[in-house]
Amino acid sequence: MRTAKTIFPIVVFLAGIILYLPVNFTTAPIAKPQTHVVEIKQMKFNPAELTVNKGDTVVFVNKDVLRHDATETTGKSWKSPALASGQSWKVVATKSASYYCSFHPVMKGKIIVK
Amino acid sequence: MKTFKSLTGWAASIVFCISMFHLPAFAQEKPTLSDAEVASVAVVANQIDINYAKLAKEKSKNADVLKFAETMASDHKAVIDQAVALVTKLGVTPKDNAVSKQLLSDADKTMKTLRTKSGRAFDKAYIDNEVAYHKAVISAVEGLLIPESENAELKALLQSIVPALNAHLEHAQMVQKQFSGK
Repeated sequence: MRTAKTIFPIVVFLAGIILYLPVNFTTAPIAKPQTHVVEIKQMKFNPAELTVNKGDTVVFVNKDVLRHDATETTGKSWKSPALASGQSWKVVATKSASYYCSFHPVMKGKIIVK
Repeated sequence: MKTFKSLTGWAASIVFCISMFHLPAFAQEKPTLSDAEVASVAVVANQIDINYAKLAKEKSKNADVLKFAETMASDHKAVIDQAVALVTKLGVTPKDNAVSKQLLSDADKTMKTLRTKSGRAFDKAYIDNEVAYHKAVISAVEGLLIPESENAELKALLQSIVPALNAHLEHAQMVQKQFSGK
């Protein structure tokens, strides 16, 4: 009985280390992808210029009354659907891009991938 | 080049002069408006631009003009919906007045002129009118409707549409560039 009682905490401790270590080692070297928000409000993308890490997610949230979208400028990369008031859409940033609202081409923004 | 530049200058001044005479409703002495009348002017001004956009969608084949008209129809409809929702909430019934009537009669004349044109001449006339109309509406909203609004929510709604009107004006000027000087 005595032996079992003394061994039990040691087993728990070792199991804890074994379970914890691999997780720690696999995630530590890579920065966790983050999520950034670009608000569309009063006919502006805010922030108009956003710096992110590769793999980060950028969420566009339409807080205006009018519909908007976010269209990558070259037209070859990405384009959100029309976002009605209150709707949002996200894209994973893989490379730097300029974008605009195709309904209001004077609205412009930029995502810079570090 | 010099001739071209001075011609463009002349054209710009002529367009400016025409637009000044063309939109007398906003240029006359500042009238006094109740909130019900402000609401009517706001709805009428938006509806007029929707009507211009409808005509453009019927008559134009230019992709930039069509895209612009599409945005005008959608945005001004959204503003009307917002205004109607607010006046309904406030229990105000929009009331006709000298400004809204003048706006309608001016728009009637402009629509008649636009209907006589086609092709590139229509596109140019439509966009020139959109530039002039948005300039006039912006100054009316800022100089007349906002100061005349007593209700805080009505005032806030009018203030919130100014950035959209400015974006429309810049968009119209962008499209207008392809028709200038030729």
